[in-house]
Amino acid sequence: MNESNNNFEELKRLLKLKQHEVPSPGYFNRFSGEVIARVRAGEAGDAQGLIDELRQSSWLAGLLRVFQAKPGVIGGVATSLCLMLLIGVVLADRPDSVPRDLFASSTPAPESASPLVAAVPMVNTSGIAVSTNPVVSLQPVATLFGQQQNPLFQSASFAAPGQ
Amino acid sequence: MIMSEPATIPDANAPAGMLEGDLVRRARRGELQAYDELVKRYQERIYATIYHMTSNHEDANDLAQESFIKAYSALKSFKGGSSFYTWLYRIAVNKTINFLKQRKNKYHISLNDLDFNAEHDPDLVALISDKTPQRDAGLSELQKKLNEALLKLSEPHRMVVVLHDVQGVSHEEIAEIVGCNIGTVRSRLFYARQQLQGYLAEYIKS
Repeated sequence: MNESNNNFEELKRLLKLKQHEVPSPGYFNRFSGEVIARVRAGEAGDAQGLIDELRQSSWLAGLLRVFQAKPGVIGGVATSLCLMLLIGVVLADRPDSVPRDLFASSTPAPESASPLVAAVPMVNTSGIAVSTNPVVSLQPVATLFGQQQNPLFQSASFAAPGQ
Repeated sequence: MIMSEPATIPDANAPAGMLEGDLVRRARRGELQAYDELVKRYQERIYATIYHMTSNHEDANDLAQESFIKAYSALKSFKGGSSFYTWLYRIAVNKTINFLKQRKNKYHISLNDLDFNAEHDPDLVALISDKTPQRDAGLSELQKKLNEALLKLSEPHRMVVVLHDVQGVSHEEIAEIVGCNIGTVRSRLFYARQQLQGYLAEYIKS
């Protein structure tokens, strides 16, 4: 044990050589200045750096960097994506959600058939009501042979071909 | 008429005359002048620890600077449970260990020169004259062999030897810096010394 300790003492003396290894003269005079300069540069570049990175790199890489820098953004984006997906599923399941005017829009209805136009009478400043809609009476009209006929409906007769 | 310069009176409000706690408080508020003083106080010890671990000046320079920058950015998380010095050491040690793990065995030695005092150190003079089989071995060769031997140790063992035998840090402080108990520090130190003894046998024969 004693011999071992003596050897360690020799080793410790040898290790003293490490204490004499020093960097070039003046190194430590510059060191703190370089550290402070890098701290200042880091502070100034923190805000601008993120924007620059997003501009310089592709949008996907930029997005990933933003996610790395601010993990909270991931939660927000994921939540909004889930909401959008949910809304999409709900709308897809509703049959009445299909817009009816898809085909109607290609063949515009005649102006007279529009109920909106018919319901709103055109107002003339002269006090005379003007309407282009025909006046239709829904009352049955007596015919020459005593039959009652609704002018809105006409009976149709079909003859089979060959008869 | 010759104007003599006024005698410099130590200013308690100047960063150089402040206590560590005051400097840390000011640095936390963003006063870079205070942090500059903290860097100046500990730069040599932090650099030396990293240098002795890496045996490479450029790596030590980069890691030491990064350690101080990391410490500044993390100052707000410093609770004061330990001294700033121990906390700073822990950052530097972790950074160095991570760096060495990435570097694996790709060692590139870039040693600093020995200072003038090395040639006059009686212990070292004795080592390269009387007790060394290779009597013509110079200090530079001894320095190279010593660094090569240190690099053969695992990082935890090398760290303990560097901190205790080279830098004179106590077992208790090492335990706090490295994050283990004192018994582990002692056992690592004993094992590391045994290993080094074997690697450097030709230089330390009695």
